[in-house]
Amino acid sequence: MENNELFQNLHTQFHESILLEETNHDIFTLVVEASSIKSVIAFLKDHENFIFLTDLCGIHYPDSDLELGVIYHLHNLVENKRVRIKTFVPKATPHLDSIVEIFSGANWMERETFDFYGIIFVGHPKLERILNVEYMNYHPMLKEYPLEDATRSDKDDAFFGR
Amino acid sequence: MKTINSEHHLDLTKKDEKVYSTLNLGPTHPATHGIFQNILTMNGETIVHAEQTIGYIHRAFEKIAERRPYYQITTLTDRLNYCSSPINNIGWHLAVEKLLGVETNKRIDYMRIIVMELARIADHLICNSVIGVDSGALTGFVYVFEQREKIYEIYEELCGARLTTNLGRVGGFERDFSVGAIRKIKELLVDLPKILHQFENLLMRNRIFMDRTIGVGSISSERALNYSFTGPCLRATGIDYDVRVQEPYCSYNDFDFVIPVGQHGDTYDRFCVRQTEIWESIKLITNALDNLPEGKFNVEVPAFYLPNKEDVYSKMEPLIGHFKMVMGEIDVPKKEIYKAVEGANGELGFYVVADGGRSPYRLHFRRPGFIYYQAYPEMITDSSLSDAILTMSSMNVIAGELDA
Amino acid sequence: MNNTSKYNVVEAPEGFTSPGIFATTLDKAIGLARKNSIWPLPFATSCCGIEFMATMAAHYDLGRFGAERLSFSPRQADLLMVMGTIAKKMAPVVQQIYEQMAEPRWVIAVGACASSGGIFDTYSVLQGIDKVVPVDVYVPGCPPRPEQIIDGFIKIQELVGNETLRKRYSPEYKALLESYGIMQSNV
Repeated sequence: MENNELFQNLHTQFHESILLEETNHDIFTLVVEASSIKSVIAFLKDHENFIFLTDLCGIHYPDSDLELGVIYHLHNLVENKRVRIKTFVPKATPHLDSIVEIFSGANWMERETFDFYGIIFVGHPKLERILNVEYMNYHPMLKEYPLEDATRSDKDDAFFGR
Repeated sequence: MKTINSEHHLDLTKKDEKVYSTLNLGPTHPATHGIFQNILTMNGETIVHAEQTIGYIHRAFEKIAERRPYYQITTLTDRLNYCSSPINNIGWHLAVEKLLGVETNKRIDYMRIIVMELARIADHLICNSVIGVDSGALTGFVYVFEQREKIYEIYEELCGARLTTNLGRVGGFERDFSVGAIRKIKELLVDLPKILHQFENLLMRNRIFMDRTIGVGSISSERALNYSFTGPCLRATGIDYDVRVQEPYCSYNDFDFVIPVGQHGDTYDRFCVRQTEIWESIKLITNALDNLPEGKFNVEVPAFYLPNKEDVYSKMEPLIGHFKMVMGEIDVPKKEIYKAVEGANGELGFYVVADGGRSPYRLHFRRPGFIYYQAYPEMITDSSLSDAILTMSSMNVIAGELDA
Repeated sequence: MNNTSKYNVVEAPEGFTSPGIFATTLDKAIGLARKNSIWPLPFATSCCGIEFMATMAAHYDLGRFGAERLSFSPRQADLLMVMGTIAKKMAPVVQQIYEQMAEPRWVIAVGACASSGGIFDTYSVLQGIDKVVPVDVYVPGCPPRPEQIIDGFIKIQELVGNETLRKRYSPEYKALLESYGIMQSNV
């Protein structure tokens, strides 16, 4: 199936909430409004054979209005075709529908994204930190936080060129 | 003691009001080979419910990657699935090459296939011998680890390191295969099949082993796809998805090889799929080595390939180039790419968001082990504790890959 | 003592020999016994654990040094071998394992991560296990080769063989444990 056809099918179903990203990315990339992400992914799975969720991850653009993003990679195993779907939410209300009901594998990927970026997946069965300690009070992958632990006392900065 | 915060509704009053006991398996349980914690609710010997905790070696790879120049990220990929580092290294190099739009010649491709298939053999050898260990047969482990040691020696000839290899460069290799390396690979191709036959005789049709593994920890192909399984765990359920065939990289399409699939998705099928893959890898290495074309072992990617040391010491431009490269002050195109390779555990993907700077704006590793390990509770519910241990070792979850 | 057997017999400590008798101090006799039958607890978390598997396998065979028997229970272990990255989430577990070990106990930090955090100077990684437990021997490398792990093990054997029986009762040792907030178990 051609990319245009796929876009047309989605457009007739979801109208203005689907945007095509006009760049030279390697995979056909769509930008979807946050409110309709779950129905778009369900549509792709049920009607377009995108039955495999390859990947789900977050991203942070501090200078943008919609700071936080989630990127889904779906794979159509029948026609061996990939699609990338992006959606963005503001940092103040980082709410997004969970897709665990559609793909069980999204469970931990969403938890990881929550852990790293603080994106809240509404309807997730257990949205807790997964990789970091439970008492951590920030989301470490946000761009404003440093890589190193600010409280560490063990390394003399003079020896590390800082 | 952690309280059980159940994902699924757990009715403690059902089954004749039996009293359930809670068993904390891990994070340092001797039988789990790595640090995974499972809090099991047990009805006698039977597992009623499992609750996983991971993240015990979370090392913040993705945060580090946002601060490292591209070529330094290779060292991070080493430590993802450390049983088969070269696949991760070359996968990352392929991802950067895709970002830069670099095409490699056939010699590089074939050399890469040899190295990656060696790594796949090394990884599968560990996993399968450990299945043997966990079912009570330590002997096989001692036999095949000797062969793994020989693969380590080949790595040493190629790059100097044994485990965390940091092998290759963006655009090829740092040096050609030495005579010693080729001799050692040829020796391995003679020795390994003998030992592998012995190993298979020991386990494959062994009644005890079959009774311990057939029907243990099985998962249907529908559930496996729903959980985004990849690699041997998916193929054991009967789905022939392999990145080497679906999206051929490194000229894999030049070779004939079989993608083994199982039927029931149980521990025995996973064992057999891995075992057959070792045989296919041996075939691939033999073919690639026999047909190794002439050519250069690297392509011209000046920004990523260290110039000759002699030139660096005697000429100005190579010196500047060397300095710029080591400091990572290299521009890349603004682009987003996803590049996947078939790791030993499944589809190892690199999602790179490049903003043109010295390091990726965002780099996400698609770690197969992280994704399919979440199906573990579903696979072990209603099985016994000893079967749960076997199921875990047959899934080959590597802690470094799991926790990033 | 004369050693004509083809088997490898450990050397006797210093002492007085005359026909039929051999006298040495109790410290040395116990040290000799202990150092040649160390039960290590492999606390393998990541890459170095795979190199430890290689160390235990047929090619390098740590069993030659009297450590054939791995003790996966801390209660019976003499030596805690920490191999691999210890994240902050894992740190309390390491300390708990150490507390569960009976005296005398030794610790070896294998690899750069266990020694100092290694290349992972990040928000989630403990910068060396000596933040939570006292360490006797550090083995550098990322990961160290099996030869290096064996070398570290031989260093531990030297420490074990030369340890005085009073050491674990000394106020210095008690102060050391207190500085880590570890309760001393039965000595």
